[in-house]
Amino acid sequence: MKIAAVIPAYNEGKRVGNVVADAKKFVDYVIVVDDGSTDNTKEFASQAGAITLRHIENCGAGAATMTGIDAARELGVDIIVTLDADEQHSPDDIPALLEPIKSGKADIAFANRFGQRNNIPFIRRLFNGLGNVITFAATGKWVKDSQCGFKAFGPKAVAQVDLRMSGYEFCTEIVREAAQHKWRTAEVPAKVLYSEYTLAKGQSFANGIKTALKILLRSFLR
Amino acid sequence: MEFTAYQIITPLAGFVAVAYAWNLVFRQKKTLWEAILWTVFWGSIIAISIYPDSLDYLSKFTGIKDRENAVLVTTIAVLLFIVFYLIVRIEALEQRQTRVIRKLALKDLDKK
Repeated sequence: MKIAAVIPAYNEGKRVGNVVADAKKFVDYVIVVDDGSTDNTKEFASQAGAITLRHIENCGAGAATMTGIDAARELGVDIIVTLDADEQHSPDDIPALLEPIKSGKADIAFANRFGQRNNIPFIRRLFNGLGNVITFAATGKWVKDSQCGFKAFGPKAVAQVDLRMSGYEFCTEIVREAAQHKWRTAEVPAKVLYSEYTLAKGQSFANGIKTALKILLRSFLR
Repeated sequence: MEFTAYQIITPLAGFVAVAYAWNLVFRQKKTLWEAILWTVFWGSIIAISIYPDSLDYLSKFTGIKDRENAVLVTTIAVLLFIVFYLIVRIEALEQRQTRVIRKLALKDLDKK
């Protein structure tokens, strides 16, 4: 079974190289989609051994992830792991995330950053909790950590996934896809490595509201 | 019949708009159909401003007794529809732009 890691990246030149190098130990291909960065994200990712694609304009994490998934499909990949480029997710967790997919128990595996001894600030827990509630309201499916970008897609999900949301709303859309296509799901505990940088980069409250409104609008327009 | 300032200014503005629409037709920047549509629209505005009683049917239709309130509620409903339509169009354009950018990125993969 061919496995690819898809990493959407925007201005992550300082970090993406390490993520690519670590992810390469566990997968056959690492695909980095540079989402219109103004730094040298693409060059660093290429040097670290990734297949790189570039959006000429910044479209958002959802669009970049879907571009990576399309590229993986063209390469004939069976399983896709998505992870962030900011070193927030530990590639060492990839084997655990792949286990339910490889054993045929699940079509999609969601990483779960909560419910263990991860040091997650209260405000993050609160926003993620709200994200879970909105996701449940929009999709009817409860996922303990719906807003985490660390996921593994099995062959059925790889063939069927079709993300139309460009921004951070895509995490909710993936849950919706899982509900619509009746994918079997698994939730796997994962580490989260918050640094000063990732904490500062986090979404603002206004962005969260914007994302929630987009989710509701898109679910209405579908 | 006594005219208020509103009943003088509105028809004048309407006539200017109609004249401008037909001017654009003669300059081949607007179609005949569009000019007719705008003439009907501004003609209705002029007629309503000169004969406000013509709006009584709206109050009967909406069930709102007061004529001015009926006009206000109907206008808000039309504006809300326009806002909703614009949001839908912007969403569609955003998605189209994203599709183009994604296709361009994937073309690079084919070259590799």
